[in-house]
Amino acid sequence: MSLKPTIGIETHIELNTNTKMFCRCAVVDTDEPNISLCPTCIGLPGALPVPNKKAIEFITLLAISTGCEITSKGMFHRKNYFYPDLPKNYQISQFDLPVGLNGELEIVIDENKDYIQIERVHMEEDTGKSSHSGSGRIESATSTALDFNRSGVPLVEIVTKPVISSSKQAVAYIEELRQLSIDLNISEGRLEKGNLRFDANISVAHEDSNELGTKVEIKNMNSLRSLERAIDYEIQRQTKALEEGVEIVQETRHWDENKEVTSTMRSKEGSADYRYFSDPDLPNMFLSEEFIKEVETLMPLLPKAQREELMTTGLSLSQSNILCKSDDWIKKLYVKVFDQTKDSVASYNWITGELQGQMRKANIEVLPEWFNDDYLSEIIELIKGNKISFTSAKIILTEILTTESTPSKVAKQKNLFQENDSKKISEMINQIIQENQDIVDRIKSGEDKLVGFLVGQLMKQSNGSVNPGLAKELLLKELEG
Amino acid sequence: MDASNLSIREINSLFTKKELKPSELYSKVFENAANSEAALHAHLTLFEEENIKKATESDKRFSNGESTSLLDGIPIAIKDNINIKNYKTTCSSKMLSNYTSPYDATVIEKLKEQNTLFTGKTNLDEFAMGSSTENSAFGLTKNPWNTDYVPGGSSGGSAASVGARSSIAALGSDTGGSIRQPASFCGLVGFKPTYGTVSRFGLVAFASSLDQIGPITKTVDDSRIIFSSISGEDSRDATSVINNQLDIPSDNTATIGVIKELMEDGISDEAKNEVNKVVQILKSKGYKVKEISIPVIKLSISIYYLIAPAECSANLARFDGVRYGLRVDGNTSYEMMENTRAEGFGAEVKRRILLGTYALSAGYYDEYYGKALLARKEMIDEFAKTFKDVDYLISPTTPTQAFKSGEKTSNPLEMYMSDLCTIPANLAGLPAISIPTGLSKDELPLGVQVMSKPLSDNSLLDFSEIIENEVQFDGQPKGWL
Repeated sequence: MSLKPTIGIETHIELNTNTKMFCRCAVVDTDEPNISLCPTCIGLPGALPVPNKKAIEFITLLAISTGCEITSKGMFHRKNYFYPDLPKNYQISQFDLPVGLNGELEIVIDENKDYIQIERVHMEEDTGKSSHSGSGRIESATSTALDFNRSGVPLVEIVTKPVISSSKQAVAYIEELRQLSIDLNISEGRLEKGNLRFDANISVAHEDSNELGTKVEIKNMNSLRSLERAIDYEIQRQTKALEEGVEIVQETRHWDENKEVTSTMRSKEGSADYRYFSDPDLPNMFLSEEFIKEVETLMPLLPKAQREELMTTGLSLSQSNILCKSDDWIKKLYVKVFDQTKDSVASYNWITGELQGQMRKANIEVLPEWFNDDYLSEIIELIKGNKISFTSAKIILTEILTTESTPSKVAKQKNLFQENDSKKISEMINQIIQENQDIVDRIKSGEDKLVGFLVGQLMKQSNGSVNPGLAKELLLKELEG
Repeated sequence: MDASNLSIREINSLFTKKELKPSELYSKVFENAANSEAALHAHLTLFEEENIKKATESDKRFSNGESTSLLDGIPIAIKDNINIKNYKTTCSSKMLSNYTSPYDATVIEKLKEQNTLFTGKTNLDEFAMGSSTENSAFGLTKNPWNTDYVPGGSSGGSAASVGARSSIAALGSDTGGSIRQPASFCGLVGFKPTYGTVSRFGLVAFASSLDQIGPITKTVDDSRIIFSSISGEDSRDATSVINNQLDIPSDNTATIGVIKELMEDGISDEAKNEVNKVVQILKSKGYKVKEISIPVIKLSISIYYLIAPAECSANLARFDGVRYGLRVDGNTSYEMMENTRAEGFGAEVKRRILLGTYALSAGYYDEYYGKALLARKEMIDEFAKTFKDVDYLISPTTPTQAFKSGEKTSNPLEMYMSDLCTIPANLAGLPAISIPTGLSKDELPLGVQVMSKPLSDNSLLDFSEIIENEVQFDGQPKGWL
């Protein structure tokens, strides 16, 4: 019996507007509770919501960029449920007329493109934050502290169709969505801050079945690691259950980060009845054609197009994907270095490999002020011109990351320019041969490996300044002769 | 001469001529309140002490000839579901018996700018749900014309206050007739403006798509003065509209329609006679009068009692004991919320919350709430069509004179029927006014209602003033003055 998993993901992205969705309270990033509140976002009697135009612009950007059909007559609905951190005990959300419907997002796994179908993109307001003491759950808490700073912060929810089949695909999808929201400049995209939070609906069914299995929802994850492990765990759990003939219960489960298991949060017998109805405080909201056109003019180059552009420089799909998901300065640096060197592989490797590696090692987050964009091109050109060795290039990079200088200056100071003069190298070789006659004899009697030893001696004697390729070539000639 | 019996324009003229001081009038209305309050219980709070200083400031402005506002120094009572900063807003509910508002409603801000003097907060049916002011958690209000009778509701306290001359005018709110019906029962003018012309910001919501603040006054001109002061687009209320008034004729070139469905069974002969009396006067002045049929009006009560409760079920969800107002403890947060709502709300409020929750529930939405929305749309269309033929529609305001306290409390359906004539204007968002025209054989006031198309409030007031002048109603309840 062969089983296949099906996964759908609901993602909430916190928009980086200055103010909240329905009031003009500042969106704040602080642990100090309840400092950015007004009658509207704490649901005082008589207070009313007024939509944030910027937030609507942001969500429209996202909907357009995921290829959604735009519902121009978007209506706000009330989603009714009681929870202490939901001040009005209803959430203003969208129901049957979301801003975006039926979109698609291109994702990349290794060297392959894949497409994730988007069911809908809609906006809603965030709730406050509850801290239950005594236990993590409201049902058994001895007390609950409430912080309403987050209450009313604009959120966009993106729901995929049930088309994802592995944790790898799920992770690639979230990575793509995160990058998209950063490039659209609608979110900081910081997972550790909960800027993106996701729920995964997972079911397992027989390979040849046309129907999906009973779905289980895993709520409120905010790291790719959790997403990946929770999905893998849940697929395994459900597969095992089905193989053993145990029925899967439709329920909401919680991913336990420490134990690395999912556990039952609440079982859902039917679906909850949220009694959605059009919010009478926000009637007749619609996106005008002019508004949509205006938003379209704000559209930046999207990750998909960035990848295509990068591939025209000669990078592979996966390389382009890694670059397009890197910080902005890295993308820009690549373009610059490539423009100057026309060498995509060297540019890519030096930037994503050596430069980022050394920065990480040295704990440098931003390039020092003196670090000119041309330096990497200079280093690459020096290597290509056989002026310096790869090893020297690394030393030069280390130096200019910490000390104000230029690659050429460092090479000169540290005497790293390579000796390319055959005559001078031959003189040195002759000296080495004289000093190591025993080794030479052993090489001649068949111990080829010892050639490397002689090259090493040569490098040592020259302080690494001879061109190792040329040196080896000349040495072999000498030995044969 | 008793100044509390005068109109706003007359009082302002005395102030300007320095024949009367605002502080003298202020004392006079509180003297009236002292005489009547024990018998009527029109107010939940009286502000005499707090505002004496403001009254003397008005004195100064008039004595220096610096006053610029018709409402300067005019004592006005406010229904206790409209927020005044730093004063209690109880909505006549145990739920909010100790709730103090930290902000002013937009209408209050506007009246403060005009240097109006607030006299107090008036009693109402809990959360404005009722037609008799018998549903108050703080005791019922009596009709100033005869204390055996109700003053109407839900703005019964506001009507009783003006009726007893404990204030010169009052603000009420009207969701299904809550301004016009008590005004009619108390021999006063009650005006519900076009939906959206007066900001709802700071009015505790009952049914957001129907609620509208308006004045209860002795004369049409008083209503006009207050309406022009409190209306205007408000950036804090997304349903507010730019008050671009349409100009329709109010002289005898206008055509008047008598609504057939509101002159049939269920309407008392006395109420019909008042309409006929006004029709005769208008005809004699050369107005063209015709009978108009709007069959969907017969569905008004049914439509209203689905839409209003549905909206209120969400609007009142915020009263949960978490952030403000009554809190009744429980073992868990949910139990606390349940206990609070069980104890905080009165029977009628609970009835409507349940009704609305049911109407919005999965499986019932289409059958109830959805159908009500369709019927409401049809009513709006029918009115729009009708106003192509006629300029004003006339009907009784209420099917009968005021009823006796306790007479209908055990039969909610019968109570609901008393709003038959007033509900259509709320459903269609029309401006509507009740003008007192005569007395019943029980010596209780009767009124007629006039409606016109949306945003023709000023013309409606002009036309109503013509009726008022012709009818010469002597609007003084005996015994209090």
